[in-house]
Amino acid sequence: MTTLRIGMTRMRVMTSKELMQLLRDTVLIIFTIYAFTFDIYWAGSGVSLSLNNAALMVFDGDSSYASRELTSRFREPYFRHVGSLSHSRDTNDVLDKGEAMVTLDIPEGFEQSLLRGEQSTVQMQVDSTNTVLGLLASSYGQQIVGRYGLEVAMKQQGLSADGGISGPILDDRHRVWFNPNQEDSWFMSIAELLTIITVFSMMLPAAAMVREKERGTIEQLLVSPLSAFQVMFSKVLAMTLVIVLLTSISLFLVIGGLFGVPFKGSPWLFLGLSTLYVFTTSGLGLVIATFSRNMAQAGMLIILLIAPMIFLSGAWTPPEAMPTVMRWLMMVSPLHYFIDAGYGVLLKGATFTTLAPQISGMCVLGGLNFALGLWRFRRQFA
Amino acid sequence: MTATVQMSEAKASASLAVSARGFSKRYGKDTAVNRIDLDIHKGEIYGLIGPDGAGKSSFMKAVAGVLSFEEGTLQVFDTQVDSEASAELIKQRIGFMPQGLGLNMYPDLSVEENIDFFARLRLVPEKELTSRKHRLLGMTRLEAFRDRPMKNLSGGMKQKLGLVCTLIHEPELIILDEPTTGVDPVSRRDFWSILARLLREQGITALVSTAYMDEATRFQRAALMYQGKVLAEGEPDVIGNLAQGTMITIDVDSQADALQTLSRQFEQIEAVGSRLRIWVDEADAMLAEQQLRDALAGFTIQHLECDTPGLEDVFVAKLRQEGNVVADLPAFEAGNNDKTGVAIEAHELSKRFDDFTAVDKISFTVPKGEIFGLLGANGAGKTTAIKMLTGIQLPTRGEGQVAGANMSTAAQLIKQRIGYMSQAFSLYLDLSVSENINLFAGVYGLDSKMRRERSAWIIELADLQGYEKELAGSLPMGLRQRLALGCALVHKPQILFLDEPTSGVDPLGRRRFWEILFNLARVQNVTILATTHYMSEAEHCDHLALMYAGRIVADDTPDNMKAAVTAEAGGLLEVSVDKPIVAVGVLEESQYKGAALFGRQIHLWAPDDQTNRSRITSLLADAGISVLGMQARTLSMEDVFVYRVLQQEQAREKNAA
Repeated sequence: MTTLRIGMTRMRVMTSKELMQLLRDTVLIIFTIYAFTFDIYWAGSGVSLSLNNAALMVFDGDSSYASRELTSRFREPYFRHVGSLSHSRDTNDVLDKGEAMVTLDIPEGFEQSLLRGEQSTVQMQVDSTNTVLGLLASSYGQQIVGRYGLEVAMKQQGLSADGGISGPILDDRHRVWFNPNQEDSWFMSIAELLTIITVFSMMLPAAAMVREKERGTIEQLLVSPLSAFQVMFSKVLAMTLVIVLLTSISLFLVIGGLFGVPFKGSPWLFLGLSTLYVFTTSGLGLVIATFSRNMAQAGMLIILLIAPMIFLSGAWTPPEAMPTVMRWLMMVSPLHYFIDAGYGVLLKGATFTTLAPQISGMCVLGGLNFALGLWRFRRQFA
Repeated sequence: MTATVQMSEAKASASLAVSARGFSKRYGKDTAVNRIDLDIHKGEIYGLIGPDGAGKSSFMKAVAGVLSFEEGTLQVFDTQVDSEASAELIKQRIGFMPQGLGLNMYPDLSVEENIDFFARLRLVPEKELTSRKHRLLGMTRLEAFRDRPMKNLSGGMKQKLGLVCTLIHEPELIILDEPTTGVDPVSRRDFWSILARLLREQGITALVSTAYMDEATRFQRAALMYQGKVLAEGEPDVIGNLAQGTMITIDVDSQADALQTLSRQFEQIEAVGSRLRIWVDEADAMLAEQQLRDALAGFTIQHLECDTPGLEDVFVAKLRQEGNVVADLPAFEAGNNDKTGVAIEAHELSKRFDDFTAVDKISFTVPKGEIFGLLGANGAGKTTAIKMLTGIQLPTRGEGQVAGANMSTAAQLIKQRIGYMSQAFSLYLDLSVSENINLFAGVYGLDSKMRRERSAWIIELADLQGYEKELAGSLPMGLRQRLALGCALVHKPQILFLDEPTSGVDPLGRRRFWEILFNLARVQNVTILATTHYMSEAEHCDHLALMYAGRIVADDTPDNMKAAVTAEAGGLLEVSVDKPIVAVGVLEESQYKGAALFGRQIHLWAPDDQTNRSRITSLLADAGISVLGMQARTLSMEDVFVYRVLQQEQAREKNAA
């Protein structure tokens, strides 16, 4: 009984010590709060993966009704006219200079050809430096031009009176689920939150441990009757508390409040999952701390680890689209399970039972991480 | 008339390297240096002596032209240092070595690359660089290590390399900020003799600071600084007259009781091993002795000896006379008086790191209630030995008993019974005083009643009343270190391990610290194992073990160690001469061993007999030096340390050859 009491006292004083130290590290605490609030806001409001106001320049060599009609169909929110070109040869130039992202070149005699019922061509050039946007711009352009061509053809064949189409044609009616307005801020803010949780659940415990190593206080703990587990676990416990608290602030104020993401599932389940996840990842932070001599080294190791973790998480690319090796590697990235579960709860309304595979995955990885950290710690200091 | 005065003033300033008048330096609200006046003559070794925070570094940086100051004037050579531009003018004539072991050099560059870097920075012509490098490396005996990366040098070698880098552009004035701090006594002596030789051969001026009071005799003139002020200035003897008194060392039955009785009348008193050292405010030795004997009526005094006080004693006396009162220690509850058992027993402990043996089969026994000192140079294996005994590191081989439990099988039990304090870094600086205490009370599983009791005791012990809410990092070193000691004692350990506990602490703080240790050992029967760099502190120990290259090479009481060295070397002879800097060079070349310069005196190993006296007199007379006096000296612990370590080094060199 007394052993238990002493054990509890030890955990209590060690955990509150970690919290006090963190709270007094002004720089770190400001950085942490910034990351969980403003950073997520910037990510949600600033980053967009859809085509918005792509700069368009047109060389209209025809200056006819048809050419103007086609040009006017490239409209906002996807495209924005930023100017006209007086020579066809200028099109490459404005792309090079970055003045336009898309150029449209309509040749002389465009309308004449259409009226004669002959085939006519227009040229569209796209700056595809950003592959996603390039792809979107060219496919939207293709759709606009194709649809215009179809309408003109139908009209000429007499199949359509008012520009609408009536004929043996498929009408595609799709439904968008989970994010009906396809708002990037929903996806981006949650993705950023999950990333931030990952970064800090490695960084805070690593910082706490490295600080003890740098100042030499770790020796004082090692000669005390504390076990290695108690030293490590108290750090994990304190940092988990802080991160989960900040996560809930971020979740309710920024994601729910500012971006209006409707929580389909229980936000409490999400916080529960976050707790489990922070726990599992902090083990990794402690492993890093055993390899580093100072905070700079720990920081660099964390950056080194975080990049592949994000790539392999499935946040940007679904597993099916990855090479087989990568898909196997994804199985060991804890962020992969967390992303699945996180989006599942918040956007799709997943419940505890539906997430059983992800939760068990996180448990297994977390246990391994913590065991590895403990083993490294014991090895380094004994 | 006026012209003559001007003439003599001009002459005086021409012979001055540095002249400061009313010099003050402030950092925000804190005054680091408070209106000091100093003159440093060309060609002398001028010392700034004082504990941390005395203002030594600030003054030196200002002289080196790297720190601005608020008040007063500072003249370096013939330039008034009052602006960035004027500071630039003198920089070429100055060499500055900042504080810290090798902090201004590049750890990954080799010895030679470091020197080349500093030389090229100073635009030393390549041809001259080669010859200067050769000469300086020869003098500092670093020639063999040209290609070794700086980080792999020992502390003493790093400081010598620092000196070479400082001298490579042949400055007229070198400024060395605590070059011997953190360096073991052997390397420290070596450093001083090299410095003396450089000054002798090149005629440069040196401004050197030190926190070791006993190094005062290394300077021709010095200033004793404390809290930004100069307490005394001049030749070491003059500084020694700062406070008048006599130091009496006694051997008395029931030492702890005698200490208590005496401390009612005498404020400055310390226990040194089995003896007591008492400062009596009476310069006349006869009268002083009588005062003491009267105070000790009823006690049996085995032995009594009167000394002229050392500078540290004088310094402490001066501070005391100026009203720096030290609070009384709290009561120590008496421990069980069982002095018979064994507290620590090490049997052939060894620790290997890859292919390097840090500790090589050490065996020793520490009885309960003893203060045991572990001495040795940097890297001798002291810290590793302590780490094995406290369970931070596992021994590669060997075994031991600590606090009645086996090291390898009952580590957890040992941890509950021992306290550990390392180099004053063992506190959480971002936690407050009471938070630190509560943390360690919790870690050792104290219940709340116990915790309150021990907290109050620690606060009193460390003299921290009113500081409970202060962050540990904001405390001065002395208080911080006593708080660390208190935290190590929170669970009333049977054994206390201390790893260089007093580095960076001023003499007053160190005294109180040892006073606490004495009470712990004598009253509470706590066994203490400590390592230290301060040889004056080694004298406080009941028993010493001297480590060299991972082995224990001497293991005895301080007195027996001194006796053994005296028997082997014949004794220590102090020679006073008129030209000490030249004389030490002559004697270094002679058959006499260990010639070292202490102010105007030279110490060397030789029995005090007629043969030696006449031989030394004629040796020096041949070089045009007259001997003013010669006498045998009692050995200090530092003499013993240097003698033993050099003996080991020579044996090793012989084996290697």
